[in-house]
Amino acid sequence: MLSHHERFVGLLAAVVLLLPAAVAAQQTGTVSGRITDASTGRPVADAQLRVAGTLLGTTSGDDGAYEITAVPAGAQSITVRRLGYEGTSRTVTVTAAQTTTADFQLRAAAVTLGQVVVSGVGAPAERRVVGNTVETVAGSDVSESPGATSIDQALQGKITGAVISENSGQPGGGVSIRLRGTNSILGGSEPLYVVDGVIIDNSSDALVSLGANASRGNAALSNRLADLDPDEIDHIEVLKGAAAAALYGSRANNGVIQIFTKHGRAGKTHVTVKGEYSLEKTPDFYALNMSPTAGYADVVFGGADSIGAPVQRFDIQPQIFRTGQGTNDQVSISGGNGGTTYYLSGGYDTEQGILRSTDYRRWNARTNLSQQLSDKLQVSLGANYIRSKADFVPEGEQTQGLLTSVIFTPTSYNPTFDKATGSYPYNPVLGPNPFVIMNQFEAPETVARFLGNVTITARPFSHLSLKYLAGVDDYRQEDKYFQPPFSTSSSFTGSVENPAATSRLFNNDLTATYDMEPMSGLGLTSTAGFRYTSNWHETVEAAAGNLPPVTDIVTGAVQTASQSIAEFRTVGWYLEERAAIAGRLYLTGGLNWDASSAFGPDERLQLFPRAGLSWVLGEEPFWKRSIGNVFSSFRLRAAFGETGGQPPGLYSQFNNFVNLNFSGKPGLVASTTAGNDSLKPERQREYEMGFDAGLFKDRAQLEFTYYNKRTTDLVLSVPLPPSTGFLQQFQNIGELSNKGVEIALNTVNVERPSFTWRSRLTYAANRNRIQRLATSADTLLVGYLNAVIEGQPIGVFYGGVYARDANGKIAYKPTVVKINGRDSTVMLPYRGTVTLPDGSTAFANRIIGDPNPDFTATFSNSFDLGKHLQMSVLLDGRFGNDVANFTRRISELFGVGKDTQGEFTGDTIPFTYTLNPNGRSLIYEEYIEDGSFVKLREVALQYLFDKPWIRRFGAQSMTVRLAARNLYTWTNYSGLDPEVNLFSENTVARGVDFATTPLPRQFTLDLTLSY
Amino acid sequence: MPRFMLVTAAARPHWHHAARIVALLGLGLAAAGCNLDLENPNSPPQNEVLSTPDGAFALAVGMQAQFANSIDDYVVTNSLITDEWGTRSRALVSYISLFTGQNIDNSYLVIESPWDNSYQTIRSANTLLANVGTLGFGPALTNQFTALAKLYKAMAFGMLIQQYQSVPIDISVAGPALQPRAVVLDTVLALLQSARTDLGQVTDADIAASRSRLLGAGFDFRNTVNAMLARYQLMAGNYAEAIAAADSVDPNVLSVLSYPIPERNPIEDLAFQLAYVGALKSFVDEAQPGDQRPAYWVDVSAAPLASNPPDSVILPLKKYSDPVNPEPFPLYLPDEMLLIKAEALTRLGQNAQAATLVNDVRTQTSSSVDQPVAGLPALPASALDTQDELLAEIAYERRYELFEQGLRWEDTRRFGAALTTTPTLEFLPVPRSECVTNPSHPCG
Repeated sequence: MLSHHERFVGLLAAVVLLLPAAVAAQQTGTVSGRITDASTGRPVADAQLRVAGTLLGTTSGDDGAYEITAVPAGAQSITVRRLGYEGTSRTVTVTAAQTTTADFQLRAAAVTLGQVVVSGVGAPAERRVVGNTVETVAGSDVSESPGATSIDQALQGKITGAVISENSGQPGGGVSIRLRGTNSILGGSEPLYVVDGVIIDNSSDALVSLGANASRGNAALSNRLADLDPDEIDHIEVLKGAAAAALYGSRANNGVIQIFTKHGRAGKTHVTVKGEYSLEKTPDFYALNMSPTAGYADVVFGGADSIGAPVQRFDIQPQIFRTGQGTNDQVSISGGNGGTTYYLSGGYDTEQGILRSTDYRRWNARTNLSQQLSDKLQVSLGANYIRSKADFVPEGEQTQGLLTSVIFTPTSYNPTFDKATGSYPYNPVLGPNPFVIMNQFEAPETVARFLGNVTITARPFSHLSLKYLAGVDDYRQEDKYFQPPFSTSSSFTGSVENPAATSRLFNNDLTATYDMEPMSGLGLTSTAGFRYTSNWHETVEAAAGNLPPVTDIVTGAVQTASQSIAEFRTVGWYLEERAAIAGRLYLTGGLNWDASSAFGPDERLQLFPRAGLSWVLGEEPFWKRSIGNVFSSFRLRAAFGETGGQPPGLYSQFNNFVNLNFSGKPGLVASTTAGNDSLKPERQREYEMGFDAGLFKDRAQLEFTYYNKRTTDLVLSVPLPPSTGFLQQFQNIGELSNKGVEIALNTVNVERPSFTWRSRLTYAANRNRIQRLATSADTLLVGYLNAVIEGQPIGVFYGGVYARDANGKIAYKPTVVKINGRDSTVMLPYRGTVTLPDGSTAFANRIIGDPNPDFTATFSNSFDLGKHLQMSVLLDGRFGNDVANFTRRISELFGVGKDTQGEFTGDTIPFTYTLNPNGRSLIYEEYIEDGSFVKLREVALQYLFDKPWIRRFGAQSMTVRLAARNLYTWTNYSGLDPEVNLFSENTVARGVDFATTPLPRQFTLDLTLSY
Repeated sequence: MPRFMLVTAAARPHWHHAARIVALLGLGLAAAGCNLDLENPNSPPQNEVLSTPDGAFALAVGMQAQFANSIDDYVVTNSLITDEWGTRSRALVSYISLFTGQNIDNSYLVIESPWDNSYQTIRSANTLLANVGTLGFGPALTNQFTALAKLYKAMAFGMLIQQYQSVPIDISVAGPALQPRAVVLDTVLALLQSARTDLGQVTDADIAASRSRLLGAGFDFRNTVNAMLARYQLMAGNYAEAIAAADSVDPNVLSVLSYPIPERNPIEDLAFQLAYVGALKSFVDEAQPGDQRPAYWVDVSAAPLASNPPDSVILPLKKYSDPVNPEPFPLYLPDEMLLIKAEALTRLGQNAQAATLVNDVRTQTSSSVDQPVAGLPALPASALDTQDELLAEIAYERRYELFEQGLRWEDTRRFGAALTTTPTLEFLPVPRSECVTNPSHPCG
């Protein structure tokens, strides 16, 4: 059998051989011109131009210029569309072998109906046609996002209804995105990512354990979307639920993020050179116990002889944190002639983390080529190569965590190098000396990745277009975790783990679209398609212990190795029919048959339908006559769709066997988990409806959407009668729902030649509810406190509470504790209990918080001050989400937190570790805090220099930009950052802060030269 | 499916170049292949395990491993519930519950594990029996496979009915009904007889030839089948059959489950590594003066161990204690055959012959195999001439010969008043994991 690579190459060869035959001679000319803002005269970049009835088109450059070559001679209708402006079109007469000039002035508007979007995998359509929401983010919003090294970071605050969290402030760190809530329990919850039509891998492989412990799912500090350079993004479209994503079938339960990279434009060559310098620092330090007298923990861990004795304290945070510096350099060259367009780009990114010893570097290069072989045939090729290296440091609940060691160790401990012993003193509590972690541990992650695609678009006659796409995503990720000998204790002999993951994704899509107008006022667009995807993910790990001194590779007396493989394939066929009635009413219906190797043979082929309705009511004569002067435009939309989610285990359909030896012979026994022949996808059904209303002559647009998603057939582990010889089986049994509203208000507040102010205000609320588990009494606990309980939102915090008196106040009881060697009786709170039906008592566990936000809101503003000065401000808020502050809990247990200073002054009840009777260590309620926040996510000021003196450097223009990210956070949360999560992208375990690196404040200065 | 692309393309000749491209793309798709029947690359594929000779050998070894690794589940309950073992201070609450008979919870692992593990062994045996005929083995090998599967299935069921009052037999259906002990015992006997028939078609040379891949070191196939037949015929009250079966067991051969490193004898793990259990001191105290057998099983000279509950007195165990060279665990001890015959003869009224056998056991001073010897004087005929006297004496001999072999609980049922001890539980409850999932036996 051929490998995917061989097939891919073969296919390419076949296509190339065919090309000469396909080129047809024709009389053509060129159209070029400039797109400008009608009010300010400022050039408008990224405007989409299209020659009606052909494949021809382009987008305008930063200077607003465009050029379309090979336009058939004669009268041609050219349409221009741009987000934030009214669409327009004009007929241009093209003369053979000549250049015709056509300039366009665009009027600012808040409405977006004319914008072209790719809704799912069908043919691109104007937004007005589509019944479901498709959120679009412009490339400039991504590439200009200050300090964002990854696309998902850059998307923060820009998608209504998305909860985007950076899990850790370490550079190269992972980001998790929830679109319209969480949609699985055992499966993943991250959306599907599609780059230029190719499904890519966004796994977050915890190859080594640096965040949460292995026993809790080994949270990863990175995810693979971080490999893509935001500078190369043209725009991003977000499909938030099943109604929009049905044509992605069985992989789309968590929504789809479609990323489109930049392409070249016909015309003169554009060169852009960008240099950026950035600084980042921690928002704050932990507040530590710096009391001059010893507390309980100091005595227990040898920092002092008795409570109250004078003690020297050490706050090592200034030596751990630093001001990190970063650079981001990017060069792009784009242009096109003779039917060829190209976009070449290269970038080099560096970022020093706010923790010393954390670092990130990325090199990337992209080529996007497109060749118009005739007005009927176009071939494009995209190739992207990326190398990245991140240096992480362990954090979170890892006892080797750097920040962890701060909160676990009393400040009476002096970790500095001891010249007398020639070594760093061992940590008296647990884990290594923090300076040893910082200076001697190694946890690098390197990635080499290739993303490539070939697209062939044919328009054999004017009503039919065919598109074939083949794409690969091929990468190798190597991690390492080195702990030197003697680092954790005098008996530790060192360890090194060196796992490597290889991943290959292959996509193969064929789509045919047929347009017709069988009668006046009725337009039909039919699409049929086929998709094949194949995923291969293999991990091989080598590890060693008993290391030779001063060696950090896998060698030494004890060596182990392991291997695991995950492979799955999907095949899908889809049909979609779109009807446009009288140019105002649009109906869409689609069917997608999707099959996956992970489904049981009895349930292999699954059908996912979709339907949509869009009625541009504002263009109906009766509307115009009645309230047309209030609502300058109005559209009603409704959509329905179903999608699937792959079962969490790719091989749960099989009766698997495990090795068990007997009498020295290798044997096999059936796994106690029974295979399930009829395992099928988790199935989501979503309804959404809403409207887009333009007000004040389209100076304002209100978008409102209500959605209701129900995900059934959630795969859960169901206990079987043990007399079957099995103990459990994965079955499609669970159900959950997400309902919510999304509201966005886009406004052009001021529009004058010297001053324009646009803003966008969004609000989104989602309610998640677990509708059904395997048995109604089930409580699945994930991580520490996050629970899955029927009737509750997913991941609620569930844990021990204080005993309370009749008034609901915390109850106290006399408790004997040892203080300075003497038993003393003090009044202390204690853990609450419940009485069970049989009369016995047990400790009470209650729902004590919910990490899901009540709502999210954003407010973004952009100001144009004259022709040259621009300013933007983005506020990003999350409200009503609880955070489990384990950082504070641990720092109090170990007498490290500032709160413990008052321990024996009568100000507070004793917290510390040793003074922790009455089951206090299992009372969590006081550590659940309101994590609501508003972040000044982005603020930027930029000035455009286009004066003649610039040209002396050969440049057309120069932009200087000063910006900041996460500049300020308004929150009542007591920790450093309410946004981080110990458990990274974990589906259920959310909102846990445990010595997790806070998101830095970043300042950037960049200079862009355009030639 | 790729073919449909080709046909569509060819049917419209006016598509010109585009048609050629589409046709080529169709070919490309065909080459891409759409096989969705992937196997799990991380685990042996089920069709190969079930349909290849290698898979069958591996399953047969795995079945024996399941039984050998769960021998402690059988011994723990039976020894703690009777007067053999006590619980040490570190023991889990569930072990103490078995020992005291108090606060039994049917979700305890000690209640669930014997059930779970026996049925996993039975499932493996069923899988082998269903598939071994299709592998193209010769009759000698096929018969060994079927005999082995029937033997282990019978032993697993035999263990189950000593612990639970009623258990399912047919596990191929979901939610099988529980069957009374007598019915299950008939199944056990039928399986063992069938195993013996299968083995009858196999020569010793055949067994020797397949030993290296199929059988454990120290396992004696024929003697084990006969010994189990003797044990369960006696339990069923088929005394003549029990005597006949016991007679065909070679007294100079031991048949064991062996645990070469890195495998572990589960009793060693439980008693010495985890240190959950010890021997009740009463086992030593109640031995007849001069009986050498307590010292075989128990460290009689050691100081009593801290026990939980504290009112019991326990001593360290001695047998199966070696973690470096794990000791094998016997499937039966040859002296059990003498005692089976003695008991069967007694119950048939042939007291004189029974008395001879009892004295044979009492007066042993050495054994050619690893089993305890009493070194006691023979009892006078007058002390063994009534059925009551004989049964009491046989019960005594069984207590000291067959300590911690998991047989004493059943002895308390068979001997009744001839024993002075009462087990703390009559039977184990049906495990919670079974009664909540098996609709034919809801939790009571």
